[in-house]
Amino acid sequence: MRANDAVNGAILIIFAAIMIALTASFPAFPGQKYGPSLFPRLLGAGLIICGALLVWRGLQARRAGERWLTPDPWTADPGKRLSFALVLVAILFYILASETIGFILCAFVILAGLFLRFGVRWIVALPVALATTVLIQYFFANLMRVPLPRGWLDPIL
Amino acid sequence: MDAFVTALGLVFDPFVIWVIFASAAFGMFVGAMPGLTATMATALLVPVTFFMSPVPALGAIVTATAMAIFAGDIPAAMLRMPGTPASAAYTDESYAMSKKGQLDLNLGVNLVFSVLGGLFGVVILIVAAPALAEFAINFSSFEYFWLAALGLSCAIFIATEDPLKGIVSLLLGLAIGSIGIDPAAGFPRFTFGSVELMQGINLIAAMIGMFAVSEILRNAVAMDALGEKITQQVGNIFIGIWPVFTRYWRNFIRGSVLGTLIGALPGAGADIAAWISYAVSKRFSKGPEKFGTGHIEGIVDSTSANNSALGGAWIPALVFGIPGDSITAIVIGVLYMKGMNPGPTVFLQNPQFIYAVFIIFVLANIFMLPLGWLAIKSAKQILRVPKNILLPIILMFCMVGSFAMTNSIYAVIVMGAMGVLGWAMEENGIPIAPAILGLVLGEMFEQNFMTSMIKSDGSLLGFFERPIAATLGVLTLAMWAWMIFKGVRSSFMPRVRESVP
Repeated sequence: MRANDAVNGAILIIFAAIMIALTASFPAFPGQKYGPSLFPRLLGAGLIICGALLVWRGLQARRAGERWLTPDPWTADPGKRLSFALVLVAILFYILASETIGFILCAFVILAGLFLRFGVRWIVALPVALATTVLIQYFFANLMRVPLPRGWLDPIL
Repeated sequence: MDAFVTALGLVFDPFVIWVIFASAAFGMFVGAMPGLTATMATALLVPVTFFMSPVPALGAIVTATAMAIFAGDIPAAMLRMPGTPASAAYTDESYAMSKKGQLDLNLGVNLVFSVLGGLFGVVILIVAAPALAEFAINFSSFEYFWLAALGLSCAIFIATEDPLKGIVSLLLGLAIGSIGIDPAAGFPRFTFGSVELMQGINLIAAMIGMFAVSEILRNAVAMDALGEKITQQVGNIFIGIWPVFTRYWRNFIRGSVLGTLIGALPGAGADIAAWISYAVSKRFSKGPEKFGTGHIEGIVDSTSANNSALGGAWIPALVFGIPGDSITAIVIGVLYMKGMNPGPTVFLQNPQFIYAVFIIFVLANIFMLPLGWLAIKSAKQILRVPKNILLPIILMFCMVGSFAMTNSIYAVIVMGAMGVLGWAMEENGIPIAPAILGLVLGEMFEQNFMTSMIKSDGSLLGFFERPIAATLGVLTLAMWAWMIFKGVRSSFMPRVRESVP
């Protein structure tokens, strides 16, 4: 999935402009000419210059016939689009749900779901998901004392 | 000498030796799996080593990366798939050899010269790092500013094909790094009132995202090949190594010297070392026409180079806190977490840790010989592990590992966001390494910049008043001038040529 450089450049310019705008609220320190806003502003200026160069380059490529967005071959395959989306969904699910339902249930659901999506037979997928979850829980929570969220399983653990 | 004895005691501890062997096995596995890189192995190791004392933690990283860079050669020769990007330069050459029936010789040469190249890099590290540290002890903020600037410039101009996108990557990294408390005045920047953003972007979580999650995203849509079937038989891999050594020892020396140097340059690591030394080998070979047909010469150069680059990369990392490659970028994060802030003073305050790293480096390279032999013998089993089971487990590990960095979901969010960003950047030809370097060096760069500005009262001439600072400054500016000149020439020349019918 490749975007034309003009698109990338435009995104960079917008990002840099927001960054510079945000530095306006940074305080200046009395008696000191250079405050916390100097460095981000320099970076923002640099990004805008690079963004402009990318836009220029992208427009040239556009004239040579490049599309705004050149999709990879895999994006034509709905199954692969689903696989890609599911990895992102898995991360999002962990971020949103792990505190409530707990690490063990969350990990098991993610692992089993991804295994099945990637074509592992359920007879293999479910036991491996369970074993991996238990091993990670044991290693991180018991050995390394990482406070993995317990969630719904709190009464049992 | 006392420190050296202490270091020996620290290393030859049953737990440390156990960690070294376990991470060796881990490194071999990750390196041999196509699609999983040595940097990813390091990023995944950090959460595990988080609760260890410095020596086993650093030992695990040193060992795993050394093994991974070698192990990447195995699938390259057997399947024509480099296990890590560091083997990509000579994958075709290796595969051509195995098609000619020289798989044993190829693997033997890869193993032996990886060990020798690795040891060469370590020797340079042991000699150069303390000497440089002694030299660097008088450096002020001006020198450090220019060193960081030079390092960041190297990352753009040496390590990337497209300098403009390299600069974009670097600026993005620096911008992301400026989130949090600013290093000069202590003002929280871009935190939007969030307490968690005040601690800044967690470095390890960001790297797990950029190096591992982005790789998972890429692999998730290339899931056709499920486990690899190896049909070749491996015999005695050590037959015929000595004649190769006597014939090509000059190539070994040249590859190792180049590898160490490229490794020591910020931003360029084992993969670039292998590409460059392979090209150099071909350029100066007496039989360049044999390259590409299964000829051992270029492999000797480049397989030595990529392992020697590992040691080389630690030189600027330990002495200046400037990472030589993306692996040492993570190492610097680990050093800070362990309270061993890299820089010349660590050689005075904690010399035993430095010596311990050296000893482990030597040990890891020696262990590589038997362990590498084992890995070659069990390649069939390693490569049969199906990706569709491996990837979800790695993803789970990434999330838990990130979580362990801050003990909160914040790091998982950072990991996810950086993973998507890293994926999008690579898809659009924007390299990740400069961004990582920017993220790691951002604070040091800004702090020294601000301190220098205040010291010189805003006069940019102050940046050139001390002799070493001036030299480094001129070097940095010359590099930029040359690059801008080249960029301008290449963008205007074609049009000039077009206008002439």
